[in-house]
Amino acid sequence: MLVEDVMDFLRQVPPFQFLDGKDLKAIAGKVSLEFYPKDALILRQKGPASLYLRIIKKGGVKVYRISDSGEEVLIDYRGEGDVFGLLSLMGEDGQKSNVVAVEDTICYLVKKDDVMKLIETNPLFTEYFFKSHMTRYIDKTYDEMHGRNVLAGSGDKLLFTTRVEEIAAREVATATEDVSIQEAAMLMTARKISSLVILDGNGLPAGIVTDRDLREKVVARGRDVDEPVKNVMSLPLVRVDSKDFCFEAVLKMIKYNIHHLLVIRDGELQGVITNHDLMILQGTSPLSFAKDIENQITVEGLAPVAGKINNIVGLLLKDGAKASSIAKVISEINDRLVRKVLGMAERKFGRPPLPYCWIALGSEGRKEQTFKTDQDNALIYADPQGENEALEAGEYFRQFAVFVREALLKCCFPPCPAGFMASNPEWNQPLRTWKKYFTDWVSTPTAEAVLKSLIFFDFRPIYGDMALAGQLRDHLVSILQDEMVFLGFLANKIIRNRPPIGFMKSFVVEKSGEHKDELNLKLKGIAPIVDAVRLFALEKGVAETSTLERMEALRGKHTIVEEYAEELEHAFEFIMLLRITHQYGQIKAGKQPDNFINPDNLSNLQKKTIKDAFSLISRIQDLIIERYKALIL
Amino acid sequence: MRAVGKKIIMFRKKKAADANAPAIHGLSVTEARYTVFDTELTGLDEKKDGIISMGAVKMTGGRIELGETFNMLANPGTNHMKPGSVIVHGITPSELAEKPPIGQVLSGFLDFCGGDIVVGHMVSIDLAFIGKEMKRLPGREFRNRAVDTFSLVEWLRKRGCRTGFPVSGKLHELARCLGIAVRQAHDALMDAFITAQLFQRLIPLLAEEGVGDIEGLLRIGDPDKGGERHRFFSGEIGNF
Repeated sequence: MLVEDVMDFLRQVPPFQFLDGKDLKAIAGKVSLEFYPKDALILRQKGPASLYLRIIKKGGVKVYRISDSGEEVLIDYRGEGDVFGLLSLMGEDGQKSNVVAVEDTICYLVKKDDVMKLIETNPLFTEYFFKSHMTRYIDKTYDEMHGRNVLAGSGDKLLFTTRVEEIAAREVATATEDVSIQEAAMLMTARKISSLVILDGNGLPAGIVTDRDLREKVVARGRDVDEPVKNVMSLPLVRVDSKDFCFEAVLKMIKYNIHHLLVIRDGELQGVITNHDLMILQGTSPLSFAKDIENQITVEGLAPVAGKINNIVGLLLKDGAKASSIAKVISEINDRLVRKVLGMAERKFGRPPLPYCWIALGSEGRKEQTFKTDQDNALIYADPQGENEALEAGEYFRQFAVFVREALLKCCFPPCPAGFMASNPEWNQPLRTWKKYFTDWVSTPTAEAVLKSLIFFDFRPIYGDMALAGQLRDHLVSILQDEMVFLGFLANKIIRNRPPIGFMKSFVVEKSGEHKDELNLKLKGIAPIVDAVRLFALEKGVAETSTLERMEALRGKHTIVEEYAEELEHAFEFIMLLRITHQYGQIKAGKQPDNFINPDNLSNLQKKTIKDAFSLISRIQDLIIERYKALIL
Repeated sequence: MRAVGKKIIMFRKKKAADANAPAIHGLSVTEARYTVFDTELTGLDEKKDGIISMGAVKMTGGRIELGETFNMLANPGTNHMKPGSVIVHGITPSELAEKPPIGQVLSGFLDFCGGDIVVGHMVSIDLAFIGKEMKRLPGREFRNRAVDTFSLVEWLRKRGCRTGFPVSGKLHELARCLGIAVRQAHDALMDAFITAQLFQRLIPLLAEEGVGDIEGLLRIGDPDKGGERHRFFSGEIGNF
């Protein structure tokens, strides 16, 4: 019983969670438990080597050294689920740091011999301790986050993870028993539905009429269409609970050889689920969604389709997709949507007077959007010849862009609060003006210019004459050549956003306000990586805009990326996935998605991984400081 | 009830004088080996009632050895099992009838204890019942020295220890007050584990008061310091 409790705990704690049941049980049976009151010195620097690996069950400790000059050097804080004493255990020359309890602390102790045996026999365990934590066990973290999907086979996963209520039609068409077959068929035709629930005199479902009933029992048998519909309705009515997984619905359909089930919620008829719904579920793909977009010809038709983009995120998450894949798919769909709107605008305003290119900015430019965000876009058009052409083009593209802004608004893309939109004349300009903007920002890097450059330098062509965007990119690369002062400003901005490590429980969280004790994932996790990689890309004149593609392009060109690309990539993927999962949960709960997570709600492995990501960011920032030493303010 | 108390005192007095007790002198509190245990009884009447389960966990100084436990149900050899006690333990008399006789369980427990100091909460009653059942094991003796965590708590309380203890002194209340997890499940091993964690937390508090050697611990943790009386009057039901 005591051993079971230990096992339950260790199952949550890396690297013990990687042990199989047998090894875990063996270890748990040999574990002991110690209590350290606040301020107790657990391990003493220069004291004897530790005989145990300690795992913090409750409380927290501070690890620090006293340097030769007598200064206290903080090494780390460790919290619940963290281990300490490993190095001392492995080494021959005693304990090298002090470990003191910063609050009342309970630790599980694993004997040295048992740890050594695991290190010798269990590769995952060994890797956790001795290789780069981040890259080696990140995949395990993914598995954990997608854990509940592991049970189901890959193809039919969605059947096991999607509840009936998520896909069943919400509206139920009903008719009373006494309507005629013809009336029922007319009603079904008018509402474009394949089934009709027939209610008895008390208003309770008595049966269901489906397309198949009309075909088999009416047309094939030459039955009189004036007969009451109850003569041809199907019995029995098979029900499925709205909370059941779709798999249950499939089983019932197979068992009763029917294609329609009544969906019951709290005893009430809530809808109907059909075999078609289930087929769509299994076939739900971003591709079919993209087709849906292509099929629309009006903004009004596009809007409801756009409203469903968030559902795709849910499906992709359930499928265990990586954050970057989800972002890629969403970008592709959003791009198509924007292109569709631009096509509609061209039809409305006629042929544009000059070639133009519609560009996406910021996260949209980097293809790192997940849930629909603000509009961030701009328009470049070819340099006009003469004043008349300039006036005409200016007027055309302004109206054009206003139409696009409104259309995107209808598709649930709110306007950019900072006004970074093509509908703003400042961001709707000929190529030469754009070149001048970029040149000005680089040569005179005011705070505002630096801020704008962060958003605009991530531009990506979406539609129109791509060559215009290409020329602007070439211009940017050429003006940044050896422009160390501007890059130095970017570097300064980056290193001022230090990651929240070195704090008890690992995280510096918001200190007050609505998000007190929460961690801003975007500001503290995603932005530092995006900004650092952008700096590297601009240094080397890399044209790619997405963070991962930039890193790929920089391999072999940039020493920092060369060394840290893999870890950075994993850290980035992990934080993005954490954020997507968090936001999807909020959307599902009917809340506005935000970037704030409560570290207490993370698993130990997640905490550990994010802490590793932060120390990686910190290392990268130190390297940036080193690189831009002379320019750091 | 008083008769029970008297008997305990006699039993303890006899023990304390025994020169053949395992050698533990000169050890510090943090070096000694302990067996922290608890018994479940059919009731508190030493004449009619009996032991129905014994649970224990080992400690080395302040370290609880989670894998070294003893946990056995016993056929108490008495039919004096009250309906109320069934509710507390969730164990029925017919279940117990299939268990090994108390003599056999007690013998296993003695083997488990070895020469350890035994520790329990309000432990004199447990010791009294063990003393009564020892006659089933002719030729064997139970000479281990004993420490009562209740006596330790009372001693610390009188010394004005910085940690406040609840007045009742009941095991589960003390545990909750010290942040020790208490489960609803009522069994001898779980209570022994809770007692062990209580003892674990008392060790540093005792050290602050200058109690660091075994002699001092045995003196202030003497089970005869009123623990059993308190249990009667406070309605502690842990051992029914």
